Amino acid sequence: MAAPHAQNPSKRRGAELGAYATLSIISIFCAIPFFWVLLASIDGNASLFLQWPRELTIDNYVRIFVKEDGTRWLLNSLFVVGTATLIVMVLAGLGGYALSRTRAWWKRPFLYTILLIRVLPTTALIVPLYKVLLTANNGLGTVLREIFGNGPARQILRYVGFIDGYLGLILVLATMQLPLALWIMKTFFDTVPRDYEEAALMDGATLMQRIRRVLIPLALPGLGAAGLFAFISAWGDFLLPLILLSSPELQTLPLGLFRAFLRVNTIDYGFLAALAFVYLLPAVIAFGFARRFLVQTFSGGVKG
Amino acid sequence: MTYEKRVSWQLRLILLPSVLLLFAFVIYPAIYSVYLSLTNEALTGAAALNPRFVGARNYIRLFNDPKFWNSLLVTFLFVIGSAVIGQFVLGLFSAILLRRPLRLKPLFNSMILLPNAVPEVVAGFMWISMLAGGERATLSRIVAFFGVEPTDWLQTFPLTMIIIVNTWRGIATAMILLTAGLSAVSHEVYEAARMDGATPRQIFTRITLPLIAPTILLYMLVSTVSTIAIFGFVYALTRGGPGGATELISIYIYNQSFTAFQLGYGSAVAVVALVFSLAIGVIYVRVLKVEV
Amino acid sequence: MAVIELRNVRKFYGSLEVIKGVDLRVEDGEFAVFVGPSGCGKSTLLRMIAGLEGIDSGEFLLDGKRMNEIAPDKRGIAMVFQSYALYPHMSVAENIGFSLDLKKVPKPEIRRQVEAVAEILQLTEYLDRRPAALSGGQRQRVAIGRAIIKKPAVILFDEPLSNLDAALRVQMRAELQRLHRDIGATAVYVTHDQVEAMTMADRIVVLNGGKVAQEASPITLYHKPDNTFVATFIGSPRMNLIPVQLSRPGNGLVRLTSQAGWSIDLPEPSPALPAGPARLGIRPEHLKLAEGSDRDFEAEIAVVERLGVETYLTVGSLSDPFMARVEGDVAIRPGDRVGFAVDRRACHLFGADGVSAHRA
Repeated sequence: MAAPHAQNPSKRRGAELGAYATLSIISIFCAIPFFWVLLASIDGNASLFLQWPRELTIDNYVRIFVKEDGTRWLLNSLFVVGTATLIVMVLAGLGGYALSRTRAWWKRPFLYTILLIRVLPTTALIVPLYKVLLTANNGLGTVLREIFGNGPARQILRYVGFIDGYLGLILVLATMQLPLALWIMKTFFDTVPRDYEEAALMDGATLMQRIRRVLIPLALPGLGAAGLFAFISAWGDFLLPLILLSSPELQTLPLGLFRAFLRVNTIDYGFLAALAFVYLLPAVIAFGFARRFLVQTFSGGVKG
Repeated sequence: MTYEKRVSWQLRLILLPSVLLLFAFVIYPAIYSVYLSLTNEALTGAAALNPRFVGARNYIRLFNDPKFWNSLLVTFLFVIGSAVIGQFVLGLFSAILLRRPLRLKPLFNSMILLPNAVPEVVAGFMWISMLAGGERATLSRIVAFFGVEPTDWLQTFPLTMIIIVNTWRGIATAMILLTAGLSAVSHEVYEAARMDGATPRQIFTRITLPLIAPTILLYMLVSTVSTIAIFGFVYALTRGGPGGATELISIYIYNQSFTAFQLGYGSAVAVVALVFSLAIGVIYVRVLKVEV
Repeated sequence: MAVIELRNVRKFYGSLEVIKGVDLRVEDGEFAVFVGPSGCGKSTLLRMIAGLEGIDSGEFLLDGKRMNEIAPDKRGIAMVFQSYALYPHMSVAENIGFSLDLKKVPKPEIRRQVEAVAEILQLTEYLDRRPAALSGGQRQRVAIGRAIIKKPAVILFDEPLSNLDAALRVQMRAELQRLHRDIGATAVYVTHDQVEAMTMADRIVVLNGGKVAQEASPITLYHKPDNTFVATFIGSPRMNLIPVQLSRPGNGLVRLTSQAGWSIDLPEPSPALPAGPARLGIRPEHLKLAEGSDRDFEAEIAVVERLGVETYLTVGSLSDPFMARVEGDVAIRPGDRVGFAVDRRACHLFGADGVSAHRA
C-alpha cells in the first residue's frame, strides 16, 4: 500500500482507480464549501443554499466597497495585520539571530520557554490579557488627557490605545506570532554558517553592517517564511479583534463579516459571500506562497 | 572589551524587544490569570470597582459547575473526533495515496490544502450554508441521495458537525506532516521487506506504521494543543449552542468572562486550560526529546 | 614586519580547558602550519589569533604589541575560511572589494584594486559572476583574493583545501606557496592533513589535546619526533611502535627484546632510559627484507597490499601487528615467514611515558 509494488497490471489498475476514487471524495469534501462562497458572491439573488446564479453580477462586491464600510475594514485589516507582520519579521529576525548565535546559559531555558509558550491557547490568556491591556489603556488615557485634554486624547488613543486602538491589537497580534517566528528564524540561522559573519567582521563590518549587508540578504527565505506564517495566522485571527475592538471606525474584516452576519433580519447572502471572498483571498494567496515552507516549518518549527 | 563580550551584549540587546513583548503579553498575563482566578474580579458591577480576594472559591464553584464539566467533555470529544480521528485518518489516506505518481496529484494536493488557508470566521460562514436546515441545504441534498431525511444539522447533531468542519480544516496539517514522515523512510527498507516476502498489508502494519510512529505522535501532540485553542469558527457557527452542546472550553471561558462578565471565574477556567496545555507541551518536549 | 608571539595562551569553554598554555613564535614571512587531529585546538588557536575567539589568559603579541583587546578587523589580519564564506548574493568583484567598500574607499579605486588582485589570481573573467557559478578551485581563489586585497601583515588559513578534490588540492598547494612568496605576509595555516603540513610549511606546530606536542621544521619532525604522538602522526603509513624490554647486556649497548622473542642492540640513548618496558619506533620504510645473517628477526606475514611501486606488509598477529613498506612488487603471500633487517640509524626509542630518548 505504502510502497510501490510490482503487481500484475489489472491489480495495479484497480489500486490506481481506488486511489483516484478516495482522493476525489476527500478533495470534493474539501472544495465544496468554496463553491457556495464563489457562486453566491456573484449571484444577484444569492441565498443560503448552493445554487447556480441566474444572473451574474459584481454588484455584491461594488456594495462592499461603495455602499458599506468594506474599504475601511479591508484597509484596517491590511494596516493592522501588515504592521504586526512587519514587527514580527524585524523582531524575529533579530531575536532568532541572537538565539542561534548565543552561547549563554539562558539559551536552552529560553528556547524551551518559547516551545511551551507556543502551546498556550490564546483563548486561555485572553482574560488576564484584557485586564492588563485595560489597566495600561486607562493609565495611558489619564496621561494623554492631562497633556492634550479630553477631545484630542480620544483621537490619539484610537491609534496608540491598548483597548479599542490600533497599537494594542497590533502588538498583541504580533506577540502571538512571535514564538513560531523566533523558532523559524533561529532554526534558519542555525543553517547559516558563522563563517559569513566572521568573514564580514574580519572585513571590518559593524554589527549593523553585518546585519544589513550580509545577514538580511542571506536570511530572506527564512524571513519570508516567518512573515508569511505570521501574516496568515494574524489575518485569520478573530478572537483578538472581537475582544479588543469596539469602535466601528476600527473594525477589521473578520469583525465586519461577523457583525454583518449578525444583522439577523436583513441577511444579505450575496453581500456576505462577497465579503467572505474578499477576506479569504489574501489568506489563500499568502498560503500559496507559504506552501513550500510548510513541511520545514512543521518539522523545523515544531520538532526542532 | 573583547570582541566576544561585546557580541554577547549585542545579542542580548537585539533579543530584548521580543522578550519584552512575550513577557508583557504572554508570561505576565499567564501568571496574572492565576491571581485573577483567586478574586471575584468582574467587568461590571460592584466587584469591578472593588475586587476582593476570594481564595479557592472560584475553583470550588468550578468543580461543582456541570457546565464546566460539560465544556471539558465537549472539548475532549472535539479533540478526539476531529484531530485524533478525522484529520488523522483522512490525512494519512491522502498522504499515502498521494505518494503514487498520479496525474491529478497537484490538483488533489491543492484542493486538500485549500481549507487550511481559510480564516476561521469564513470557515464558519461557509459551513453555515453547507449545514443549514431544510431540503435545499448542501448536506441535506447529498444525504438525500442516500435516502437520509433532511434536518437542521447544527441543531440535531451540533458536536458531530463542528467535528466535521474541523476535520475539513485540518486534513492538510496531518497530510503534510505524515507525508514528511513517510518520505523519511528509505526505499531500501521497503525493498528489503519485499525480499523477505512481506505482503503490502504486512509492509504497512509492520514496517510503515512503526517507522512513522514518532511522526504520528508529533502530529497528535501538536494537533491536540492547537485544537484546544480553537475558538473562532465554532463561535461563528454556534456560539456554543444549542444548549451548550458545542461549548468548547475556549468558548466557555469567553462566555463566562465577556458575556457574563465574571473575569475571576473565567480566569479559573482559563487556568485549567493553561495547565492542560502546558502538561501536553511538557510531554511533547520530553517524549520527543526536542533538541534546542 | 609581522612576528606572531603567543605567551602561555589559554582558552576555556565553560570549565573545559581547550587550549592549555600554548607558547609559540612565528617569524616574519614564515609559513607556519598548525596540524593535529580533530579537536586538538588548532582551529581555536587560529581563531584566537584572528580575534574571533577571546583569549582567557596569556597574551598574543603582534610585533611585540599586545593584541588581546584589539577588534578582529583592526589587527591587520586576514583570514581564509574553510567554507570560503563567499557572500552568495554578491558578485566575485563585490566579494573581493567588500572590505574596501565598508571603509568607504571610492568605487573606481575599489575597482582598480579588485582588478589587480583578480589579475594575480586569474579571476579577471569571472569578476561579474556569483560564487554559485564558480568551480571549487575558483571559489577558493576568490576567498584568497578577499584576504589579500586588504594587504594584511598576517594571513590565516583555516583548512582551506579540505573542500577540494585530491587533484585540485595538489595544484592549490603549489599555488598557495607561490602566492605566499609573492606577497610575503606571515602565514598561519591550519590543517589535519600531515601531507599538506609537510609539503607547505617552513615550520610545523603539532598540536594535541590543546598543547603543543612539538614545533619544528617538517624534516626535523620526521627524523626527530619528540614523543610517540608526533612520531605516529607524521609519516604515512604511521611509525610502528613495538613494545620491548630494555636491558643492558654489558657491551655498552642497550638490548631491546620484543615480545616475539627477537632482539636488537642499539647505542645508549640520551637521556638514558631505565631498564624495563620501553617502545621501539621504526617507520615501515626502515624495515628491509633480509635473509641469512643480515636478518634481525623472522615473522609471519598476515596481509599483503601490492601497490606496484611498493608493497605494504602487515606482519605478525592481527591484534598486535606492525607494518613494513618495501620497494617494488614482491612475491610474498600471506602466511609466508619472512626475514627482516632493522635500519638501526633510523630507530627511535621511547620511554614508558611516550617521550623520545634521542640517540646521541
